[in-house]
Amino acid sequence: MSSAAIPAPGVHPPGRTSPRGAAFDRLFEGLCFAAATALLASLGGVLISLAIGGWPAFAKFGFGFLTTSTWDPVQQVYGAAGPIVGTLITAAVALLIALPIAGGVAFFLVELCPSILRRPIGTAVELLAGIPSIVYGMWGLFVFAPFFSRSVELPLMDAAPAGSIWEKIVGGIPNGTGILSASIILAIMILPFIAATLRELLMSVPAQVRESAYGLGATMREVVMSVTLPYVRRGATGAVMLGLGRALGETMAVTFIIGNSHAFPKGIFDSGSTIASTIANEFTEATSPLHTASLIALGLVLFLITFTVLALARLMLRNQARL
Amino acid sequence: MNDRGAGAFDTSLTAIEPDKVKLDVQNLDFFYGPNQALKNVTIPFADKAVTALIGPSGCGKSTLLRALNRMYALYPGQRATGRIMFDGEDILRAGVNLPMLRARIGMVFQKPTPFPMSIHDNVAFGVRLYENLSKADMAARVEEALRRAALWEEVKDQLASSGLGLSGGQQQRLCVARCIAVRPEVLLLDEPTSALDPISSARLEETVTQLKADYTIVIVTHNLGQAARLSNFTGFMYLGELVEFGETAAMFTKPATQRASDYITGRFG
Amino acid sequence: MAASASRIAARRVANGVFVFFCCLFTALALLALAAILWSLLRQGLGGLDLAVFTKSTPAPGSSGGLANAIVGSIMLGLLAMAIALLIGVMAGTWLAEYAGASRYGSVVRFLNDVLLSAPSILIGLFVYELLVEPFGGFSGFAGAVALALIAAPVITRTTEDVLRIQPTTLRESAVALGTPFWSVIRQVLWRSATGGILTGALLAFARISGETAPLLFTALNNQFFSLDMSKPMANLPVVIFQFALSAYDDWRRLAWAGALIVAASVLAVTIIARVLSREQKRS
Repeated sequence: MSSAAIPAPGVHPPGRTSPRGAAFDRLFEGLCFAAATALLASLGGVLISLAIGGWPAFAKFGFGFLTTSTWDPVQQVYGAAGPIVGTLITAAVALLIALPIAGGVAFFLVELCPSILRRPIGTAVELLAGIPSIVYGMWGLFVFAPFFSRSVELPLMDAAPAGSIWEKIVGGIPNGTGILSASIILAIMILPFIAATLRELLMSVPAQVRESAYGLGATMREVVMSVTLPYVRRGATGAVMLGLGRALGETMAVTFIIGNSHAFPKGIFDSGSTIASTIANEFTEATSPLHTASLIALGLVLFLITFTVLALARLMLRNQARL
Repeated sequence: MNDRGAGAFDTSLTAIEPDKVKLDVQNLDFFYGPNQALKNVTIPFADKAVTALIGPSGCGKSTLLRALNRMYALYPGQRATGRIMFDGEDILRAGVNLPMLRARIGMVFQKPTPFPMSIHDNVAFGVRLYENLSKADMAARVEEALRRAALWEEVKDQLASSGLGLSGGQQQRLCVARCIAVRPEVLLLDEPTSALDPISSARLEETVTQLKADYTIVIVTHNLGQAARLSNFTGFMYLGELVEFGETAAMFTKPATQRASDYITGRFG
Repeated sequence: MAASASRIAARRVANGVFVFFCCLFTALALLALAAILWSLLRQGLGGLDLAVFTKSTPAPGSSGGLANAIVGSIMLGLLAMAIALLIGVMAGTWLAEYAGASRYGSVVRFLNDVLLSAPSILIGLFVYELLVEPFGGFSGFAGAVALALIAAPVITRTTEDVLRIQPTTLRESAVALGTPFWSVIRQVLWRSATGGILTGALLAFARISGETAPLLFTALNNQFFSLDMSKPMANLPVVIFQFALSAYDDWRRLAWAGALIVAASVLAVTIIARVLSREQKRS
């Protein structure tokens, strides 16, 4: 009887005491574990390297580093307040602008859109999300800024009565750059992501819930605002916070158009800076070790802010998934 | 007729000669975490015969089946106590070589699960783990297994095409071929035809009937007709206990317990 | 009745306003997309010619192309993806197959998601401290590592997700044959999940192709054509950054051409990934 035929059972497979490859089981598991730990370690590494690199700045300036806004490489005085405030303001304003628009897009796609248009418009929104940030930066500076300056800044500045509070508010150089412009570009950047996530969340609401709301005679606005959106409240909050996290850390879209001044902006069209734009602009030309350390210290501040926001966001999304 | 509501069925009442018992389950308890799913089950599985496990959903028949090849070892929190004797060895004790155990006890699942590779590679997969066959020998082994599983005629010209492209019934027979190519001694079948259409089911049943001449087969089934058609012995389980066990013909015509009688006549389940 | 009629009317109006704004906002978003694509095409195509692909970046005032930057970006991207796939697939496999419900697994998963959304400029700083400063120079290798750190969490996430949806019986039928667990993963589960992992890899690639910030302090830039990864490496995003903010027309034109190339590649890869994932969902 050849070894190929199936002989009567009871003849054990010849030779082996364990199947081929059994010896590598532990090794493979170890490698996978190592890879997972490497990811963990790199996050920790980011934190540690920022702390170590930025330490000289904290040692020299103490807590004042966070509260003073003088940034003078010549005098070797560095205060981070300007970029920190700039980061927070641009992200907050961007979120304020992006949120209603993203919501509108999501509601439109889920409730209003005719089904043949749904795929193309949904894809278009995703394409917007895929555009690299440097393209946003260039478009912002070369296309949006002139338009903004012509159509919004100049008219508003002309219309503001001299000496009034309005003049202060719309103060700045009307060349289209500044913190408001940067906020608008940031808003355009983060809105597709928030819209896409919101849309997925809304589509995850069971059909019966939506249908029973409509069945009671509710209008679309009432169904969306009072039923489906609250249903995904946690996940929606998480998505918004992820968008916020993105806006806080965005570099290229902002660097082109924020004007890069370290002082506090005094009007909405005034120049400012964010942590990311400051680092991007100055790091490779840092004039001294203290300058470099201050920039890295800025990075640490950004890390702490975004980590907090992102951790909260993920917690919310996790709780939503469990519901 | 007596009603055995509590306590294990005394399987020594059944006439299986001790040397014909391939797998001997003794006082098996099984736990999913804190929940006990099998209670003091004692049941013999005869060699070169088909034993069917029947009972309503949740009675523990699949749990019992999966204890036989220690499939539950994949999941922490599931554990078994008691003894399962296989050729004089207790396979429940620690230190048993699980992969080699599974080479001798094969399993076919409810849902056909062809691997994402060619038909030939599917059947050869298990063989390659244990043996170094030449290309010609392997091809012959694959052919033999496919013949035994009654699939050869249908796929002999497309051995290189993906196993996923076959119909449901063919996929299930492919899984059977994959199992027997490894030359096991025992075959565990977990509701193998429940996902198949009647014609494929019938062909699979024919295959099982032919295989019974050489293997110890344990089949879990919801289909009483299938149990009656295929098996030599039947075990009826209810709520984790073995309520009755005996020769199939006897049990289906004259069940010894009220509960088994109720189930078989369709009063519940 | 009159009271409820006016209530209904008020609700209708509110709904109408709401619907109007939803449509308006969608139109605004689409308008923004159209405007950006339009500018890209108009300005980018204007600067696009054969020289862009054949000549290296020029000194200010002279003509040239982006060949070294394109090649550099491709090399950085490929090396980054190789590293990211190695770490990401293994880490995702660990999370799906070995971690179970363990505490450590939850922590890794959570922090992986945080790393996924972390500002890429900070990753650049980290790699600078790790691979540039100690060795005294910028290098393409450091740039690839920085990009890999951005891509790896994405691949980890998609690998874990796609392995989790593999049917349990597939896993069990391989185990039932006595297959060692790592072979179950390698020969059965990974094979079955290949499509999903590939889609994840494509999405990660699209993401890192457009990243500028992490390269600013790692790979930096190189004016000349070079394949040497241990030295600064030319790449499209940094070149675009440099040229766009300069005062020279030639450079600005090249910057737009570069932006068009980057955007087009990213969009192409994203579309391929979406088409692939739709194909898999169907089968």
